Amino acid sequence: MTTASEPAVQTRDLVAVHAMFRRGAPAAVVSRPWLWERLTGAAQVTVVSAPPGSGKTVLLRSWIGEAGLARRAAWVPVGRDERDPQRFWLAVLEALRETSAGSALVRELTAAPDLDGWAMVERLLKDLAPLQERLWLVIDDAHELGSAEARRQLELLLMRAPQELRLVLATRHDVRLGLHRLRLEGELTEIRADDLRFTVAEAQALFQAAGVELAGSALTLLVDRTEGWAAGLRLAALSLAGHPDPRRFAAEFSGSERTVAEYLLAEVLDRQSEQVRRLLLRTSVLERVNGELADLMTGGSGGERMLQDLEEANAFVVSVDGARSWFRYHHLFAGLLRLELRRTEPGEAAGLHELAATWFAGHGFPVEAIRHAQAARDWGLAARLLADHWPGLYLSGKSAAVHALLAGFPAEARAADAELAAVAAADELAQGSLAAAERYLGLAEDGSASVSAGRSGPVRVLLGVVRLQLARQHGNLPAAAEEAQRLRALAEAPEATQPMKGATEGGMGRAAGGGAELRTLALVSLGVTEFWAARLEEAQRHLEQGVALARRIGRPYLEFSGLAYQAVSEIPRSLVLAAERSSQAIELAERHGWTDEPAAGYAYALRAGVLAWQGRPEEAEPWAQRAERALKPEAEPAVALLIHHSRGQLELARGRYADALSAFLAAQRLGGRLAAPHLLVPSARALVVYSLVRLGETERAEQALAGLGDRDREDGEVRIATAALRLAQDDPHAATGALGPVIDGSASQIRRTWLIQAFALEAIARDALGDPAAAGRALERALDLAEPDGALLPFLLHPAPGLLERHARQRTAHAALLAAILDLLAGRRPAPSSAGPRPPLEPLSKSEIRVLRYLPTHLPAPEIASELSVSTSTVKTHLRNLYAKLGAHSRAEAVASARALGLLAPSATQR
Amino acid sequence: MTSDNMTSAGDGPQSRRYEIWVRGHLGETMRSAFPGLRAQRRGADTVLTGALPDQAALHGVLAEIEALGLELLEVRRLAPY
Repeated sequence: MTTASEPAVQTRDLVAVHAMFRRGAPAAVVSRPWLWERLTGAAQVTVVSAPPGSGKTVLLRSWIGEAGLARRAAWVPVGRDERDPQRFWLAVLEALRETSAGSALVRELTAAPDLDGWAMVERLLKDLAPLQERLWLVIDDAHELGSAEARRQLELLLMRAPQELRLVLATRHDVRLGLHRLRLEGELTEIRADDLRFTVAEAQALFQAAGVELAGSALTLLVDRTEGWAAGLRLAALSLAGHPDPRRFAAEFSGSERTVAEYLLAEVLDRQSEQVRRLLLRTSVLERVNGELADLMTGGSGGERMLQDLEEANAFVVSVDGARSWFRYHHLFAGLLRLELRRTEPGEAAGLHELAATWFAGHGFPVEAIRHAQAARDWGLAARLLADHWPGLYLSGKSAAVHALLAGFPAEARAADAELAAVAAADELAQGSLAAAERYLGLAEDGSASVSAGRSGPVRVLLGVVRLQLARQHGNLPAAAEEAQRLRALAEAPEATQPMKGATEGGMGRAAGGGAELRTLALVSLGVTEFWAARLEEAQRHLEQGVALARRIGRPYLEFSGLAYQAVSEIPRSLVLAAERSSQAIELAERHGWTDEPAAGYAYALRAGVLAWQGRPEEAEPWAQRAERALKPEAEPAVALLIHHSRGQLELARGRYADALSAFLAAQRLGGRLAAPHLLVPSARALVVYSLVRLGETERAEQALAGLGDRDREDGEVRIATAALRLAQDDPHAATGALGPVIDGSASQIRRTWLIQAFALEAIARDALGDPAAAGRALERALDLAEPDGALLPFLLHPAPGLLERHARQRTAHAALLAAILDLLAGRRPAPSSAGPRPPLEPLSKSEIRVLRYLPTHLPAPEIASELSVSTSTVKTHLRNLYAKLGAHSRAEAVASARALGLLAPSATQR
Repeated sequence: MTSDNMTSAGDGPQSRRYEIWVRGHLGETMRSAFPGLRAQRRGADTVLTGALPDQAALHGVLAEIEALGLELLEVRRLAPY
């Protein structure tokens, strides 16, 4: 997808860095063996902390090249003011995967909405635990890491990283990363401004490499005047190349009191041709530049050649890709050049930004396009670009970038522009601020009349999706269903999401892609809502369309989440088909690294449920545990309900009726908190009654039934459970009475798995009433229904071996299935009580998991508290709960238990 | 992308006058990075003087000084007149 171009670019950059190492940096390297040795022999963490232009990046690159570490060093350049932990960690993973050790250990992860940085670090620690060889992680421009959360995550990585991982941070100023602890432990190597200063000998080598022979007092003068500052020396070398009188240059420079950078920049610019000077000044407004863009900005030609020459001369720019087509300026020079542009060509900058915005928009780089449009103060263009590209940005995990872009508009533009307000509403929703989302929604609706006819379709769909999500987050299913109803007509009409021609100049291809993305998003949201509202046929249809469209436009995340829900909604039709869909979803999750995403949780829960119905509880257990891990209890109540429901089925299948009862009771309680009927609520109610019957608690089962409303008692599932109770009370007549409407099909539409139970119970009741022929017919019907899915559980839950054996001797189309059931009934033993680690009694909460991650670090509670910015007593409460849930009595036990359950990365060779 | 993050002289209720010393003489280009402040030579150094609306603006100026590779010598808040 072209709209997802940013990560591709980042990847390309990283690949390029490696390519560069292999090729050797384009400009000659000054040998700095003393610093290289310090880097090679460094402690766990190295900080290279010095002002801009001190030669940090050049030093690190030359060291990696000289020490032959290209395949052992992951290079991560932090983007300008990086506030998105997800993007930062994706870049880290990507860079690590480029190394030889990392390519074998670090699993691939594809960007998706809402990936959690903490979980990404935990995943990385898990992957790196077996690391046996030295691996370097270099983070350049670490001071740009603007997200406090990402910094704390990085700190956690430092604390728990395996022995062989070495971290190098290059930064303009010291960053807060709890490095004092490392310093105390002797695990910190520091290289600072004074260490980086060039000695006279090093400066001489630098000049020589630039073709300038300089010695004696002129050399000393220059080193003194620049104080060995790398950028100053490089600029001096540029001015001196071909200079008629180097000694005079040195003397004049030395005599001037202007700042080094400014003096030398002026000298260098003076010595450039008019063409080059124009290119330098006019492209300085760009974060990165290529030849085509340079020509556009200068109105000239030959830009690419000029950029390559500049790089070879070690002047201002460095290429960021292997083909040397993209370049970026050294930050320091870019700043100076922009000032110079403003001084010499006042008023030009806005027009240049405008040109750049159009170019980036037309080449599939929406984020840069929007930033330039904002810099040009063209709020209308910026707003239209953002509205067109929101779906793609959202789906490729760029919520944080969208948030930052929105903040770049004046507040009145956000309120006055309906399209922008719609994006702001979606953004607030993604940030979890429901009230703010509603406010923007109101503004967008008020202003939507003013949106031009050609663009109003996408805005209406976007607003519909936001309203739908809002209703769901409020747990208001009727409102959600109503929104879904409205969205349906829009989503089913492909043209509704297409902006008209010329919406964004030059950006048509992208905009059309954004339309398909928006439509896919709408279809999947719609299907999910319909699913929860128990409107399965519509859910089926929309999910199927959504999944197919997602596949066609190459949006695996939507395909994956659509499939997971599609799987669950297949249950009434076919367990086998449901299991197949869930396998497809799980396969996508594994390929893209989304195994901890909530949608994966549905797929796991479903697979556990299917295996339980097939009478294979032990195979189901690991899937149930994975579901419990992926689906956090803080999620929507509907989600938590699903977890408890599938856990209950599993316990039922292995005959642990007390555990099953508590799971179904929890599911029933959650069901009471939902504003509207939920697919699984009648089922949970019935299964509570059912578990009580199996426990022999007929009194309590009777009370549970009496506690239900009249209409609830009419649900097919509840009728079936009632029949089971009546049979347990030796009242087969009442049992057939309860089953009547289910058997004749007049009760509410129920799932096949339940229908099997109904016929199985009917058979038992008819048999008890002395009507073996009717019993045989009912049993054959139950087997007919069970056969396609291999659903054995109903026959195990209602064991009637005598009846089954008799049936097996008569004419049945299901001899093999019957034999399997009888085998299980005969060989059935109570499940072993402790096969492997027991899952936590209750799923861990998000905050508990956060505290859990610090347990292997040996930080005391107050320090964990300060890491997480909460009070010590909060941490202690979480610790108490963690120990209780994990059945641990000490920190070490808790860590061991969490590791055994896969909640924490396995132990690395700890220092 | 731009270096327009400078706040020109604020004179709101919270605004304070500052004196910021950097090393070396600033030419016209460098001075244009600090449009709200007056640059004066003092010996081999330059002092930037002016009112800044709040701490955030002060930090903005300091970040600009860092970004341009200037050496910061001293920052002082001046007594109100």
